[in-house]
Amino acid sequence: MNQVECVECGTTVSVPDNVMRGEILVCQDCGTELEVIELDPLTVDLAPLEMEDWGE
Amino acid sequence: MSEPNADLLIELVRRASPSGHEAAAVAFLVDWMRAHGLVAYVDSAGNAIGIRGPERARFTLMLLGHIDTVPGQVPVAVRDGALYGRGSVDAKGSLAAFAEAAAQAALPDGWRVVVAGAVCEETDSRGAYHIRDSFEPDACIVGEPSGVDRVALGYKGHVWFRYTLAQAETHSSRPEPSVGALGAAFWHAVLSWSENANQGYERHFDQVVPHLNAINTRSDGLEAVVVMSISFRLPPRLAPDDVRAAIAPLAAPGARLEMDRGVGAYLGAKDNALVRGMVGAIRAQGRRPAFVLKSGTSDMNVVCTRWLCPLIAYGPGDSHLDHTPDEHLPLDDYAAAIVTLRHFIEHLEPAAELAPAQGTTLPAEQRGDL
Repeated sequence: MNQVECVECGTTVSVPDNVMRGEILVCQDCGTELEVIELDPLTVDLAPLEMEDWGE
Repeated sequence: MSEPNADLLIELVRRASPSGHEAAAVAFLVDWMRAHGLVAYVDSAGNAIGIRGPERARFTLMLLGHIDTVPGQVPVAVRDGALYGRGSVDAKGSLAAFAEAAAQAALPDGWRVVVAGAVCEETDSRGAYHIRDSFEPDACIVGEPSGVDRVALGYKGHVWFRYTLAQAETHSSRPEPSVGALGAAFWHAVLSWSENANQGYERHFDQVVPHLNAINTRSDGLEAVVVMSISFRLPPRLAPDDVRAAIAPLAAPGARLEMDRGVGAYLGAKDNALVRGMVGAIRAQGRRPAFVLKSGTSDMNVVCTRWLCPLIAYGPGDSHLDHTPDEHLPLDDYAAAIVTLRHFIEHLEPAAELAPAQGTTLPAEQRGDL
């Protein structure tokens, strides 16, 4: 199990060994969604925000 | 590999194609796809279909755009780096980007790409229904203007009702309510039901939103009639039949409530290979991706009733310009969408890695397939 630091609150987040690029993790401390943007070195960033919009 | 340009898009927009009158645009797109290495044809519903890759490929990526537009002529012109014209945003920009990306991309082993320009998306989605029943893709991107940085994960459902109430004419001095008043009372009851149904749901996507499209009364001197057209935008937790069951008891005695047509909402997961691939493709262009939930409907609502593969919507443009006289698409956004889609296609994972659609909150038989 690897670990990264939550980019929002700094808490250590455990990452499964078979994690995939683009996978979304949730910080158990602050609830922030984190996206795995690199595997080597393991790097996370804030996951895409979810917004609402009108129309098609 | 040729540099992307806007010739295809401009020529598609020049060929006006309001719903039901798409043949010229379809023929042009089919010819273009044939000239750019796709096996292309017009199917029996009138859709433009182009296929690239082995006929017996193990996996199929469906790029499902629509080629029809709403009515209304917007003069076609390129000004200040943007293409003006009906359909530039909704949704020929997405469709042309699909065709360009499919033609340019180096396809991964095992994959074929289908580009579909569906007819009648703006009316009854007959084109999408035909495509839905003709293919079984492993992943699907619906072509709608999410914006080049955004992946649309879901669309609300939509259902239409006709409410009709007739009663014998009476003198207006009598105390009984008129049919118009009874119709208005039904509408107010619908509003109250909707308000109660939305308690505790903060997101607009999760709320049921009623809309009074029309209310008309008529009388031949003997009988007065009120006819109302009411529609609802639906969250994933409510199917069209759920709404019918909820509002039918609100109707006045003797009233007729008919459900014209309806489709359920779709909400896909944000963590499957399709989404990961598109988010990665957006990041690869140096952009920060976002997810979006749409209040409207699209052909995604149609195909999700049969296709269990992951679905998203993507395409260049600002959807606030949909159906407006100011409809225009920045050509930089169009080019960026092509590059992003091409990157996505070239990095497709084996379909075995594609997780089944998750997060769709209603089973297919309840999502409305009217």
